[in-house]
Amino acid sequence: MREQVLTRDAIANPKTKYGDAKASTRHFIVQRTTGAINIAFLLLLLFVVVRLAGEDRGAMVATIGSWYIGLPLAILLAIVTIHMRNGMRDILEDYFHGRTYSLYMMLNTLFCVFIALAGIASILKLVFWG
Amino acid sequence: MTVRSRPLSPHLQIYRWTITMAMSIAHRATGIANYAGTVLLVIWLGAAAIGPDQLAAVNGVYGSWFGQLVLFLFSFSLIHHMLGGIRHFIWDFIIGLEAGQREALAWANLAGSIVLTLLVWTVFVWVG
Repeated sequence: MREQVLTRDAIANPKTKYGDAKASTRHFIVQRTTGAINIAFLLLLLFVVVRLAGEDRGAMVATIGSWYIGLPLAILLAIVTIHMRNGMRDILEDYFHGRTYSLYMMLNTLFCVFIALAGIASILKLVFWG
Repeated sequence: MTVRSRPLSPHLQIYRWTITMAMSIAHRATGIANYAGTVLLVIWLGAAAIGPDQLAAVNGVYGSWFGQLVLFLFSFSLIHHMLGGIRHFIWDFIIGLEAGQREALAWANLAGSIVLTLLVWTVFVWVG
């Protein structure tokens, strides 16, 4: 967000991002929806970690390599990264403005994309190639 | 006409500490911790995908006392953030917003996260 003149019109105009109702509502709904789904992720994560903590590769392939565990885990991990990026956006908007904000937001996106790709690639490797 | 960005509120030291404020800050802090903690999950999954030696190395680190301490705190952070999120869901339905109720929910968030974390580690690690 660029520094700008704060007038009544500036706040009412959606393009100034002061009162963008659509973007804000979407942000809210996405964060609540992904948050609710993350409860399922935590339950699956608990199951996987309890079963596999300290176990060898054969056990990892046997459990996460089963498509009915691996594929839901991969999808839920992707949803987690959406929630992460959205949540970090809230924090960055509070403390940074202008170009600094844009830079941190880009790093935020890169980190979440990296986590999603690395996690999903690892899981798919276990599912399809053992 | 003045040029300025969004108005700022006074910073934390102005306010008297309340449990709702503390749990709001904790929700943000645990969110950041969970954000960073996903790296631990991806390292574990990645090591398993790469090979047995890499997985054994990661298991060695995660199984050490320090690794277990970090994972314990990570699990607490995840549970605290989950209960905090459920608290926000309850508030979204305009329930529990009255004076007294919101403080009770905040205390329940704190107590529930401690109890649930200890329960999970007792059942699945220390006893199981």
